[in-house]
Amino acid sequence: MRAVRAASLAASAATLALAGCTARGPQLAPANPGAFAPQVELVATPFFPQRDYQCGPAALATVLAAAGVSVQADDLVAEVYLPARRGSLQAEMVAATRSRGLLPYVVQPSMQSLLEQVAEGRPVLILQKTGAGPWPGWHYAVVVGFDTLEDQIVLRSGTSYRLEMPAARFLSTWDRADRWAMVAVAPGEMPANPDFARYMQAAAGLEAIGRIEAATLAYEAAVREWPAEALPLLGLANLAHARGDLAGAEQGFRAAIERAPGDAVARNNRAAVLLELGCPAAARREIHMAAALADAGPHEAAVAATRREIEAANAPDVAGCPPDPAPANSQP
Amino acid sequence: MFQRLLVQLLCVAILNLGSPLVAQAGLIGTLEAVEADTRAQDFATVNAVLARDQVRQQFAALGVDPAQVESRLAALTDSELRMLAGQVADAPAGASALAVIGIVFLVLLILEAVGVIDIFKKFP
Repeated sequence: MRAVRAASLAASAATLALAGCTARGPQLAPANPGAFAPQVELVATPFFPQRDYQCGPAALATVLAAAGVSVQADDLVAEVYLPARRGSLQAEMVAATRSRGLLPYVVQPSMQSLLEQVAEGRPVLILQKTGAGPWPGWHYAVVVGFDTLEDQIVLRSGTSYRLEMPAARFLSTWDRADRWAMVAVAPGEMPANPDFARYMQAAAGLEAIGRIEAATLAYEAAVREWPAEALPLLGLANLAHARGDLAGAEQGFRAAIERAPGDAVARNNRAAVLLELGCPAAARREIHMAAALADAGPHEAAVAATRREIEAANAPDVAGCPPDPAPANSQP
Repeated sequence: MFQRLLVQLLCVAILNLGSPLVAQAGLIGTLEAVEADTRAQDFATVNAVLARDQVRQQFAALGVDPAQVESRLAALTDSELRMLAGQVADAPAGASALAVIGIVFLVLLILEAVGVIDIFKKFP
């Protein structure tokens, strides 16, 4: 007990020290002036005043409604509210966005990225930590505007329809929540200045919970945005396989391998599909390359399992299989 | 109490018999490919089935309507479940701005530290 108190005193002292150093110059001056307008406010953003401790459902309803989903904060209580915690978890805010077929894009943790989203017309769901010690005061709100001249942020927050907050104060509360921010993006659209890994994480999450149509649109948008990347093609090929389009899947994995010859997953998946297409010899050539690439990596076990299955099949290839030697593009 | 613990331990043991070391032959999912390089992989050692069970229990314990538990679980990915397993009760849960209470606490703490008041009895 004593140790806990001492620790919480130390933590509080650290918080105080931090608060002491956050008084800096203007926070909102863009790194590259002209990147966006000095003042932006998304005045059409709807407002759902929070009830009790339910800022999570209220703030989430705000960004979902702004993305065109018909929703009420009360509908979301059953999806994201934890009664005994009197709050909502970030993972469930992401999950509820995803289960409505929207892409839950977790924004890069910088003020610049946050403002870019608003400047492109998307209100941003953010987490703040307003308290300290045993009362952390976690709070969700929605950034709907900013004013770089007045150095302030405009929020829909709690029961405030329009809360102006000095940027320095906003930043200190946002900092202490690890600068968590999320936008709800209609599948097929791109968030502002998208980060490939963050985008693909969100898109693959849609696929993982069975929002196939949304995932397809999201992967297709990723192919347009990052034509040299293999992962979006891998995603589309996995979806083709899931709907039974084996030829389309094989083609997709081949396209992914062309872009990333060292991608063990694409090779493993192409090999598995080749086997299903009745081409065990071609599958064997591909899985051997996958196994060499997956060695000691995160997919080693899965690739080894596919390899065992392929090596157990020893029928000759049916007509129409890729000929031996393997196509030029399957060299690692 | 002890019996319940024993049953839980046995369940864990039985569930673990088949799962973590046996990889599925065939296609590797897009999400697995995406997460292979990210932090999410750190949690991959936790069995996804177990993680789901654990989060299910925690949701029930934290007052989630039993009718909603399954659909809430279904919206989470395996890596989110692994991450949440064991920490639903501690992870940040945005609630409402309780800054005032936080400040009151800080003031009390400072007063305590400098010896003006003495309400935290066990504090040295």
